[in-house]
Amino acid sequence: MTNSGRRPLAKPLAAAVLGACLAGCYTTRPADGGGQTSFAGERVVRAADIAVPAGYRIEPIARGLTFPTGVAFDAAGVPHVVESGYSYGEVWTVPRLLRIERDGSTREIARGDRNGPWTGVAFANGSFYVAEGGELEGGRILRIQPDGRVSAIVSGLPSVGDHHTNGPAIGPDGKIYFGQGTATNSGVVGEDNAQFGWLKRQPDFHDIPCQDITLTGQNFESADPIRPAGGRATTGAFSAFGTPTRAGQVISGRVPCNGAIMRVAPEGGTVELVAWGLRNPFGLAFAADGQLYVTENAFDDRGSRPVWGAGDVLWRITPGSWYGWPDHAEGQSVTKSDFKPPGKPQPLALLARPPGTPPRPAAILGVHASANGVDFSRSAAFGHVGRAFIAEFGDQSPTVGKVLHPVGFRVVTVDTGNGRIEDFAVNRGERNGPASKIGGGGLERPLGLRFSPDGQSLYLVDFGVLLMSEKGPAPQQRTGVLWRVAREGRP
Amino acid sequence: MKVGACGTFVCALASVVLTAALAACGTPRRDEPLVGPFTTADGRLQRGRVSFDRYCYKCHGEGEGALGPGMNHLPLPRAMMRMQVRVGLGAMPSFKPDELSDAELDEILDYLVALRRHGR
Repeated sequence: MTNSGRRPLAKPLAAAVLGACLAGCYTTRPADGGGQTSFAGERVVRAADIAVPAGYRIEPIARGLTFPTGVAFDAAGVPHVVESGYSYGEVWTVPRLLRIERDGSTREIARGDRNGPWTGVAFANGSFYVAEGGELEGGRILRIQPDGRVSAIVSGLPSVGDHHTNGPAIGPDGKIYFGQGTATNSGVVGEDNAQFGWLKRQPDFHDIPCQDITLTGQNFESADPIRPAGGRATTGAFSAFGTPTRAGQVISGRVPCNGAIMRVAPEGGTVELVAWGLRNPFGLAFAADGQLYVTENAFDDRGSRPVWGAGDVLWRITPGSWYGWPDHAEGQSVTKSDFKPPGKPQPLALLARPPGTPPRPAAILGVHASANGVDFSRSAAFGHVGRAFIAEFGDQSPTVGKVLHPVGFRVVTVDTGNGRIEDFAVNRGERNGPASKIGGGGLERPLGLRFSPDGQSLYLVDFGVLLMSEKGPAPQQRTGVLWRVAREGRP
Repeated sequence: MKVGACGTFVCALASVVLTAALAACGTPRRDEPLVGPFTTADGRLQRGRVSFDRYCYKCHGEGEGALGPGMNHLPLPRAMMRMQVRVGLGAMPSFKPDELSDAELDEILDYLVALRRHGR
């Protein structure tokens, strides 16, 4: 037959052209991040637009929240949510701790000042513990009593840069564990930090290592956004903008520091280092065996030292260990060609003597997925016992780098034994993405999650709509939602 | 140089064919909540799945696309996928045998082919 005679030619041709596209078109195709859309009016919230595995159901518990980030339960098992009070895009509101009533209404328990973002909350010993990101005055760990009294048990954390004070989680030892993100993307202050907004406020701020480090002396030239137009600046690693470094230069370490997990007693006191070399350790959770796991937001393709193709990571934390930042991604050296951004220089090592050898990740998640809140299922009534549940905020392309399709915007589970990743809650539709992009009333940006004290429900904090463009982030107030997932047939 | 190996003309042509392929083959999504769990007793597929998540997931998601392109909906022959992995054309890095063995790569390809059919 004539047609059958043509097929053998058509199939290889189509395959060859498809292959050529897969091979070469990354650089020519535009970014298609999940936030690259528009939004107006009120957010539509419709649980039916979210798919969860058979036998589960999801429902909205509270809506209209402004930049919610974390959830915790008081002694009676009542959910409480923290609203951030700050969002990328330099939008300032009031950080708040809210009690979520049965009818979905909220009651304010406590509020902070202009030192957000409040990035997470935990409950222990009759008090809430909140990680205050400290964009203006530095990070703090706050203790909030049920009557609303607020006191700081830690203050002065180096948190006025790109990433903030995160967590907290209550350890088996009763101590408050928290993360402290880095000031920069990859160790060098640059123009991108001015775009974040903080460089002009804090021109002397930079990353602080947890131990003494020795530099290779790499310096990076960039435009100078601080001083008069047209100027250029040369900046080295772990140094203020416009400050060059030299080979062999030692940068003194101290605690508290950047890119670290630290801990403190519930009543406050000396801050202890647990682990470091983590770019933005956002989510902290202890598994049933007491093992600490942390989600890390990995490198972006931005700034003076961009790194490409670095997947977010779930780490199994061994106290005293170094996890690789700023010279490793996913446990591998960024000097590998895999991490070279298209059209930009190959990243080279900043540290002359690595402080250690990074371990292998428990799981490698999507590049730019923004793997954030994490918790472990402990109840057979819910299922998936022992698996890590991770909320993926979703990409912030194009600011963080290009993606060809929206990444994240879902909840996944991880088998920490072999690194297998499964989707657990996703929006329905022909393509992945936040509801504001793909339509419907499903998830926007999952950020925090926690199982209820009885283990039978998973509460998911959805930050709400965050638009992205070349101009940066545009968060939308009063679009946040608290969702609950439970097995069918259970209350 | 890897980047920019594809010219504008080839990309335009590829886009046309890709669009046709997308229309013909439907969505690349194979998420468990959408199409049910991918279950198998085949040890090769189970190992391929673990290796895929270790080496490929970060850029391709579960074959639906992310930083890089989706694959589940494309009629890509095994030989082409093997070449892409080993040679690393375009922005995708290459994976040499000392990093990803032939046996591991074969298992990944088995898994990808099975995943492509899953839920269809």
